[in-house]
Amino acid sequence: MFGGLKEKLQAARDRLGSSIQGAAAAAQAPVTTGTATGSASDKTISPAAPTFADKVKVLVLDRELIVSEKDISDALSELEMTLLESDVALPVCDAIIAHVRTSLIGKHRKIGQSVDALVVGALRSALLEVLGKGFNLVEYIRTHSRPVKILFTGVNGTGKTTTVAKIGAYLKKQGYTVVIGGGDTYRAGALEQIGVHAERIGIKLIQHQEGADPSAVLFDSVQYAISHKIDVVLADTAGRFHTKSNLMNQLEKIRRVMKPDLVIYVDEAVAGNDAVIRAAEFDRTVGADAIVLTKADMDSRGGAAISIAHTIGKPLMFLGTGQRYEDIIPFEPAQIVDELLGSDR
Amino acid sequence: MDQNELMTLQHYMKEYGQQAEIFVGQMEMLENGRMEAFAAIDTLEAMVAADDGTVLLQIGGGASVRAKVLEPDKILVSIGAEVVVERSNKDAVEFLKERIIEMEASQKKVAETLDRLRSQMNEINKRLESGYQQAVAAGQDQE
Repeated sequence: MFGGLKEKLQAARDRLGSSIQGAAAAAQAPVTTGTATGSASDKTISPAAPTFADKVKVLVLDRELIVSEKDISDALSELEMTLLESDVALPVCDAIIAHVRTSLIGKHRKIGQSVDALVVGALRSALLEVLGKGFNLVEYIRTHSRPVKILFTGVNGTGKTTTVAKIGAYLKKQGYTVVIGGGDTYRAGALEQIGVHAERIGIKLIQHQEGADPSAVLFDSVQYAISHKIDVVLADTAGRFHTKSNLMNQLEKIRRVMKPDLVIYVDEAVAGNDAVIRAAEFDRTVGADAIVLTKADMDSRGGAAISIAHTIGKPLMFLGTGQRYEDIIPFEPAQIVDELLGSDR
Repeated sequence: MDQNELMTLQHYMKEYGQQAEIFVGQMEMLENGRMEAFAAIDTLEAMVAADDGTVLLQIGGGASVRAKVLEPDKILVSIGAEVVVERSNKDAVEFLKERIIEMEASQKKVAETLDRLRSQMNEINKRLESGYQQAVAAGQDQE
């Protein structure tokens, strides 16, 4: 997952590190000369005097270097290109660069201190800032009254129905009872698809016939959950583009009737910046509380995952990472940053 | 194998078939992108090779015109995130080559997923056929 971005970030990090190292070496140069001069006149100093080593230590190791804009400007430009080439949205890219710049410039760094640690620290905090805090669904369900009603929206063909099934399986594993509302009554075969999923994962499905009013199906699903004391209602809906006003009105009706606690926008990570733009449009028109990105395992660039939370101001909740039901991971920013930058650093 | 099991297997087949269609579409998109990048590299290299920067510009319908590129070493490249940057001809070719490598890596992943899906579909198909044969045999016994 995000292999290409990981490689590029590694290169950008090395470049930043070597820029600072270069500046440090330049600052160190006069000190070395001074040391050599010191050695020449060493004969006059008592061999037992401990002050010489201390002086060298103070001059070479403990001397501070102040990182300047000039030292890292080229490396920051490269980082900017790296992020843009990975489809990271421009405002997010700007935010990351600004954060790294603020973190590094004017920093008093001891020459003996690891440059890599300094650079990784700056990149880590910049990425964490744009990735936000994530969204802990289990914690949300635990702290809200039941049933928690979750409505899934998004464009066609991004894996929304499969995501509903995966989240159902995930919540069931966490010990919650779940019912799925088959609200995609529009697409031919959608009810069969969700029916197969529900049967496989052992979750009750509420459905009407094809072409029925999705609001009615989802209302019935909520009523079923209330009467059977079910913890969570997962409401599948037909995929739609935000430009289709009739389908968007239908979604508005679903919202009024079902009164969801959470609206989740589902899109595919491989769509890159397009996914970010679409999520922003959906958020503007119907609103979204969190986002799920599917097919993250096939996305080498990682642009959408990095950009989406910062761009629309809503947290990323899950990443879909494969074909199996268990191939869904809760989005934890710290873990993703560790994956990108390496946790051992 | 009862009727319900047969129906479930048919549903599985249909679902896998739909998923496979999506992945085939992605493969086509990636292949188109790859071919476009190759064509762009050819054009960029031809621009450098042509002394006066004259190239054939296709205008559709199989028709072309001779066009003179004013600045063959200033290439505007869409690098992602809807950002276009100016690069030298050499850097633009390098960039496109990297993109081709990325697309080939993605194609490999999609192909692996498609293979997995196809082998699952074959498996289901075998079970379906054996189910049908059982059903036919049971029908003949009743006659």
